[in-house]
Amino acid sequence: MNDIIEMLISYFGLALVAAGTQNAVFTRALGISSGLRMLHDSKKSTSYFCAALTVFQLMTVVIVYFAMPLVDIAGFGAYRRFVLPAIVVAACTVSYIVVIVLLSIILGNRFKDVVRSVTSASINSAIVGTVILTVYQGMNLAESVVFALGSSIGYFLAIILISEGERKIAHDRVPEAFRGLPITLIYISILALGIYGLIGHMVAF
Amino acid sequence: MTNLRRRNHDKYMMIALLPLIFCGTVLYGPRVLLLNAVALVTARIVDVMVSMVRKQDFDGHDNSSILSAIIFCLMLPVSVPVYVVAVTVVITILVGKHLFGGKDVYPFNLAALAMCCAAVNWPDAVFSAVKPFTKVDFFSGRTAFATASNASLLKDGAVPAYDTFQLLLGNYPASMGADFVILITVLGLYLMFKKRITWHVPVTFLATCGVIAFVFPRIYGFSHFDSFLLEMLNGQVFFIALFMLSEPTTTPHTPKAKIIFGILCGVMGMLFRYYGSFEIGTCFALLIVNTMDGYIERMVSRKDRVKVEKDESVPQPETAEPPQPQEAAASTRRAGTMKLISEAEDNLDDVIYSTRTIDINEILKLEEQQKQQRKAGKKNEK
Amino acid sequence: MKNKDYSYLYSNWEDTVRRRKVFLSNPVFVKGLALAPLVVAATTVHNGILLCIAVFFLLTPTRIVTNLITRRMSMPLKTFFYPFISAIVFSFVYYYMYKLLGATVLVLGVYLPIMVVDPLIVKNFEKTRKESLLYSIINGLRNTAGFIVACIIISAVREFLGYGTLLGVKLIGFAPLPMAHNTFGGFLIIALLSALWAQLIKNYKYKVEVEAMHDERYNRDAD
Repeated sequence: MNDIIEMLISYFGLALVAAGTQNAVFTRALGISSGLRMLHDSKKSTSYFCAALTVFQLMTVVIVYFAMPLVDIAGFGAYRRFVLPAIVVAACTVSYIVVIVLLSIILGNRFKDVVRSVTSASINSAIVGTVILTVYQGMNLAESVVFALGSSIGYFLAIILISEGERKIAHDRVPEAFRGLPITLIYISILALGIYGLIGHMVAF
Repeated sequence: MTNLRRRNHDKYMMIALLPLIFCGTVLYGPRVLLLNAVALVTARIVDVMVSMVRKQDFDGHDNSSILSAIIFCLMLPVSVPVYVVAVTVVITILVGKHLFGGKDVYPFNLAALAMCCAAVNWPDAVFSAVKPFTKVDFFSGRTAFATASNASLLKDGAVPAYDTFQLLLGNYPASMGADFVILITVLGLYLMFKKRITWHVPVTFLATCGVIAFVFPRIYGFSHFDSFLLEMLNGQVFFIALFMLSEPTTTPHTPKAKIIFGILCGVMGMLFRYYGSFEIGTCFALLIVNTMDGYIERMVSRKDRVKVEKDESVPQPETAEPPQPQEAAASTRRAGTMKLISEAEDNLDDVIYSTRTIDINEILKLEEQQKQQRKAGKKNEK
Repeated sequence: MKNKDYSYLYSNWEDTVRRRKVFLSNPVFVKGLALAPLVVAATTVHNGILLCIAVFFLLTPTRIVTNLITRRMSMPLKTFFYPFISAIVFSFVYYYMYKLLGATVLVLGVYLPIMVVDPLIVKNFEKTRKESLLYSIINGLRNTAGFIVACIIISAVREFLGYGTLLGVKLIGFAPLPMAHNTFGGFLIIALLSALWAQLIKNYKYKVEVEAMHDERYNRDAD
């Protein structure tokens, strides 16, 4: 019984680490381009985007975990590092197709409301970076899933914080050269400084 | 024109800082004055330079940068090099204040930002502490009596050995002016009594910190009360509560939101102090909590609005969509799926980050109007 | 001759912006692409050069291969093929970089592999324009040049501020701003540089406008 609780606590800690100190946006800078573009596009919804990203991330992690041994069997074991991105992208694509087919069956007419957000969440560096990290760090299946879940929750929180900030920085007192991308990046950098207070060193990458 | 409330706040805060500077000078020598002067002059120069570059009129009544610079400076040990103070103040005032639009609209607490910036860049210079009544070189700040500060001892799991009375007085190796707990408490009570600051944020913040320190002692084997005393008297908690959390620009405006903000600051601050890697975790936590004040405000006001709607009990008209024949829907769906996916793509060449802006003066005016309405409403109730 | 250029630029301003990818529509400073590797990994000029090499051998070949293969494909299929092709190209690029440069390539960690899905390289957002082979080569080279300029500037500034060195050579005895080699320092410096870039673009546009108007008046007077 104690073992199980200890295990649960360690997994919870891992999820917290993935969401907080190794936050995808503020410490690893993953998925910023697509996140910012999503925020600046009025036709995409933040919640759909982040939910889709979570689902894709979990599916991709699981698929990649089971696909990596196949690489060894196929005789590419020495080249694992080099073919990994291709496998991750393929896994992303598979999960995207599965999700889109399921959604179009389930949602029916409301499908057109979500498809734009879901598509832009499909293949981006937040997913690929997290999955590659789990492989590089040699995590087992449960750890990878927990890490991916925590990482996407962290991404969601980061996007919420940034969109909250967009309300404060979109006004005409900001110097003209800084409007748009630069002031958003400065806002993110100060938030990243706040998160840095938790870690105190650069994360290994 | 800076709004009047803010201007008065700055003035009274500056006056409240004078006793702290005086005590610091008595304990640590004239170098305290030098460092504060450097911070003050640098902040003013940056303000003037920016107004020259942006071709705006310089507002002499806007003292927020000076105030923040001095608050930041008092949190440092007396042995800190001059360039650390100057460079940090320049970066903070430039990036944290003027790039976000200057007075009244900057989103992050400037003093907390400065402290974080200095702590990250020059941790050795910022986190040492100097024994009181010892000799410190006036210009270089070199001293033979620098030790680790109490907060960093706590951070490393050691127990600082000073009696409680000395901790209350601030007569131990500490920062220039942020550790005189009794003096700060008296100043805070005076300001609250005179209604220059409201009690909501500082008091809820301190209470939350105290409860957390009492219930969860950081170091194994601490009694609850010892933990409470050490955590509250070290780490400049009172100074932060009085001078950083009472700032009108970066804290919410309504009382309920202020209370939530204070509790959030306390929880996050203690979290950062316990598990973070810097002693002044509260400053780092404040940067993150600063982003949420607008959200807290909206959350509180939404609750209020719901109450009003319930009282009026307006029946919502029910809108039901006309049912569509299922087969037709299925066929359009099948044909449309591929088209929808391809339409979902952006054309990258056309994506430019939106630079749409809102006129901030109108927002400020609206806020003022709302405040006055609220006040008028209260008076009517009475 | 020069005046004619200005009036031409002024009348075709949008096209000019699209074509001048190094300055007027820089992929990093203006469009904010490929931020992840630049923010975290490009802390020294050495790392920056590694990133530039990877992008140089990745971007244009991916465009060419995709252009050849997916020419007749419909849109959704194309979207999936683009990252996959870039991943395949990347595995060769990565392998040969590893063979030639050795373990220094591994310094960049995940930030080299995630380039394969970066919008800079994956043009999965292409909808309207079908480009010819020549155009894709030229456009790819322009994008590469824009990235290389931005990357070298960013990594040089960050190395100087963060370590006080440039290409490993000590310039001054201390680090002027040690936070430059951190993540948030990276964000801050890229933001400041892109604001500077925006100001330069604004000045250039103003100059073009003035010259073009001057030119117009001159021509009218001559008539």
